[in-house]
Order: sequence, then C-alpha cells, then structure tokens
Amino acid sequence: MPEAYTGPLERIDDSRWRVPKSYKPEMRVDGIIYADDVLIKSIKRDKSPEQVANVACLPGIVGSSLAMPDIHWGYGFCIGGVAATDPEEGGVISPGGVGYDINCGVRLIHTNMAADRVRKKIDQLVEALFNTVPCGVGRGGVFKFNRRELDRIMEQGSKFVVQEKGLGWNSDIETTEAEGCLPGARPDFVSQRAYERGKDQCGTLGSGNHFLEVQVVEEVYDDNAASVLGLEKGHIALMIHSGSRALGYQVCDDAIKELRNVPRKYGIELPDRQLVCAPIRSPEGEKYLGAMRAAANFAWANRQIMTHLARKVFGEVFGTPAEQLGMHMIYDVAHNIAKMEYHEVGGKRREVCVHRKGATRAFPPGHLDLPPRYRSIGQPVLVPGDMGRASYVLVGQQNSMDETFGSCCHGAGRLMSRTAAIKAAKGRSIKKELLQSGVVARARGRTGLDEEQPDAYKDVGEVVNAVHNSGISRRVAKLRPIGVIKG
Amino acid sequence: MKGSYELFEHTADIGIRAIAPTLQGLVEAAGEGLYAVIGELLPAGDPRESLIEAEADSPAVLLRDYLGELLLTFERDGRIVTSVSALELGDEKLKASVQTERLDKARSRLHHEIKAVTYHELDLRETEEGFEATIIVDI
Repeated sequence: MPEAYTGPLERIDDSRWRVPKSYKPEMRVDGIIYADDVLIKSIKRDKSPEQVANVACLPGIVGSSLAMPDIHWGYGFCIGGVAATDPEEGGVISPGGVGYDINCGVRLIHTNMAADRVRKKIDQLVEALFNTVPCGVGRGGVFKFNRRELDRIMEQGSKFVVQEKGLGWNSDIETTEAEGCLPGARPDFVSQRAYERGKDQCGTLGSGNHFLEVQVVEEVYDDNAASVLGLEKGHIALMIHSGSRALGYQVCDDAIKELRNVPRKYGIELPDRQLVCAPIRSPEGEKYLGAMRAAANFAWANRQIMTHLARKVFGEVFGTPAEQLGMHMIYDVAHNIAKMEYHEVGGKRREVCVHRKGATRAFPPGHLDLPPRYRSIGQPVLVPGDMGRASYVLVGQQNSMDETFGSCCHGAGRLMSRTAAIKAAKGRSIKKELLQSGVVARARGRTGLDEEQPDAYKDVGEVVNAVHNSGISRRVAKLRPIGVIKG
Repeated sequence: MKGSYELFEHTADIGIRAIAPTLQGLVEAAGEGLYAVIGELLPAGDPRESLIEAEADSPAVLLRDYLGELLLTFERDGRIVTSVSALELGDEKLKASVQTERLDKARSRLHHEIKAVTYHELDLRETEEGFEATIIVDI
C-alpha cells in the first residue's frame, strides 16, 4: 500500500480542493486539485497531493500548482499535474514535469462505417492491425529512417512524414495539436544514445499502457459538437495511444542526469531531487527544451506513421480506400509535454512554460491556436479509459483558460499494481472475458492483457464527470472499444 | 560471491531489491533483476569483454547509471551482460569489466519495455550480511 497524504486539504467548492501555501514555507503558490468528494478520497491514499505541494516550491511558478482529477503518484511531479513557470521571474523547466514518455498522447480517427459493418469483420480487422502496426517490446518500425531523416523528423514532426514521405494526409497536420511540430526543436541536443535507442522505433506502438483501439461511438452528449467533430452514434472510430518511444525516454533520462547538480549552481533548493530543473533562460534549460521538443516531434511522427498503417489495413479489410471510409483525423493531443504559451496571469498576458504531465491541453472556443473548423466548439480533448470500459471525447471550455492554463485530465490512472493485476488474473483468461463483453483483443506480451485488464484501472467516467462539472471541459461523446491491440 | 534479487510491486512500475555479500555480487544481482523485468533473456554466445564506467555523487546513483548502460546495451546492441569480472565502485566512480553475449532472440521471451531506471527510492546500503540495493524501473 502506498503511503497516504496527511497534509492539509481545504475544500473550495464541489470540484476543487486547496493545498494551502501555508503548508510549507518553501511553497510559492497554492496547490489546487480538481476532484469531487468521492475522487478526493482515493487521491489522498497516495502522496500525490504532497507532490502538488512540492511543485508549488519551484522557482517562477505562477498561478497555482494544479492537479486534474486523474492525479496519482508520479516521479517528482504527480501524474495529472499542470504547472506554469514564468521565465521573466526565473521560472524553471523540469524534465520531471514532462515525464519519461515525452509527448505521449492520443489521436482519434473518424470512419463513416456503422458498427454492424465492422463487427462482421472485427476478428480479421484486429488480426490485420496486430500484424501490420508494430507493437510489443523490441519491435522495430516498418519504415526505416537514416540519421538525416531522423533529424528532420525531430525538427518537423508530422509534416516531414506526411509531406516528404507521403505517410498521411495534409489534413492530419491541421488537426494535430501544434500542427504536429513544436518550433525550436534541436536534434543536435539529442544524445547519440537517445538516437540509437529510438532510431528503429518511429511508427511503433510500444508496450505498457499504449494501445490501438477500434471503438464505437456509444453515446453522444452534445449533438452540435459531435456533429462538428463528425462523431455519430453507432459509428466506428480508431484511437491510438503512444509516445516518443525510447528516444524520448532517453532524452528525459539524459536530462535528469545532466541537471543533477544544476539546481545547486543556480541556488535552487528542491524538496525532492526528482524535481531537478534549470532556469528556462539558461544554457541547461535551453538544452533540455530543445531536446524535449525534438522528442515531441518524433512522437507526432510516430503516431502519424501508425495512422497511415491503420488506414492501409482498414482499406484492405473493407476493400475500400481509407478516403472513402472517411478516415480523417478528428484530433491528436499530447499529454506529456512542456510548451511556451500565452496566458493571463494576475491580469497580465504573459508567455509562460506550461508543464503538462499526464494532462491534456483544452483550449476553449475561439482560441486562435485551434483549427478553424473547431473554433466554434473548442479544442477536442481525448481521454482514453481502459480496454473494457470507455474512452471520452470532450471539448475545452473557457474555465480552462481562466483556471488551469488551458488544461484538462488525460485518463483513468491505475488502481492495481502490475503484479497485483497479474495475481488477480490467475486462473482467468482476460482475453476470453473481454470477448464475452464484446471486445476482441490481441497482445504481443505474455502478461500484457493481464496487467492492463479493466479492473486494474479506475473508472475514467468519474474523472470525466469531475472535469465536466468543473467547467474546464465539456463532455461530447463516449466511445466503447470493440477491438484492442496491445504491446 | 553470488547475490540474489527479488522483484516487488510499485504502483504502475516494478521494483528490484538486490542483496549480495560483495559489491560485485550486488551489481551482478541488480543486473539480473533488471533483465528479469524485461523478460526471460537467454544468451546465444559470441562473448565479448567491455568496460562500463560512470561518475556520480553516490554509489546508489552509480548503480542506477550502470543499469542504464545495461538497458542501452540490450536495446541498441541486442546484447546482455552474462558476468561481471571486475568491479571498482567508490563514492563517485564506477568501473565494471563485464562479459556480454548476444541475445538469443528466438528463445528469449520479452515481457516489459523499461522506459528508464529511476531515482525514486533508490538506495544502496551496507548490511550485516553484505550489501542491499533498491531500484525502481519505469514501465
């Protein structure tokens, strides 16, 4: 059992709790946790509120140290955490505020097919996806890139693989957060070892909680937004969850190592050494930011290549080109990233570095960073759940800009450890159980399905209700998996 | 002197606890624990000697860095360390002469992709019986 949080938590209203600045003398701002009365009970069972307080100690943090309702314990920063730092006030960048899987994220692809048509071929479809989209430990990608090409992937992200390699549609770029490319990426700051770990992995799913799912739109809550997004009840969509693979893991690992002694150099006292950081405006901070952006762009290219492969499979299985199956991308969001964004802080518009670790950007209607087609409804927010229950599509609302630096939750969060999940699966066949509930699943690893079984996760519906009720995002649709590919 | 390891659960990730009468045995056991997290890894011959070096501010962090090298060697070269023939592990420097062999891809079974060897609850301490180390890997 993890250690429980015993510090102060003040109820602000039905959906927010405060860790007051007075809790620790080093705290520069309050911590705010978005949760209802039920979720907060499980949140207090681990030390994640303590981590919210620790992040509040970082130099240059502005507003509050924030946590979404799917908050749980992470390395240094909690997962579900959002922190904005102002470079003008000595604000820092911390690799722990992004996580090892840089630009881990989710994308959702539309189809115009009704569920019945797909269910008839679901076994064949899942098998073909499983055999075509590389997944599992040690699987290399279908497309090989030389060093020069990888540098361009890290500089240009989705654009390079779509426009130079023909692996996607131009509209995919428009519907990807940041158009699938963070400016200021510095592949020359990515170490040789990061390059070597990731060079064969662009276009691979990986393992752990990453997945590719065939989903059916089960419920529509907001007809207008669903119609703008092209989500129709009873129709099929495809969701892909993956990140920057080992290239990103190594960029984070290298940065934590290189920054070990940097806080001391700049006179920064940290409550937890896993919060290692550097001022944004320092050679060390700029180096990490450049490498992190390169890994983020690699991640967008990674998801883009898998989209291309999945479209090919759908085209072959249904004997109709993907274009005619309406397989345009609805949206792609990052949930482990740090970005320079403009936000209003203390009545002034400022450029701040927003760390989102297990949190999704959720810009409201009218925001100029959104593709024109979505400006009337707000940014699509994709919240994956476990493989037996549901995932959700929401849209960002004005409260997100007013309160959470344009951020929302990212998923469900684990309830069981991997070992406990394997124990709980003993004598059972998770694959058969999923099949009985209408989900065809394939996994590469021996224990993959056991470790990722639905019971191992919290119910994402509760998390989604909390963000909906707090007004930071609005619920649009619920999607249920009918086909699952795991690593 | 040979050590041993056990894996323990840790939220979404996995912990390795290694014990051994000597530091060399501890480093070997921790490496075996790391491989056990990845899967059932079997060597396929082609032995080679190599040197792993690290610099850090504590023996625990040096052990973490050493395990990071093992992870890289596995992923990049498809090779696994089969023995540690000599070890110097001080407060700030590690030097390990290791023998590696090619991974037998056909017979090995891979279960987990390790993202990184973390610093969380990282510990290396002297005990009455020898040494004990705790390492948590991110899955």
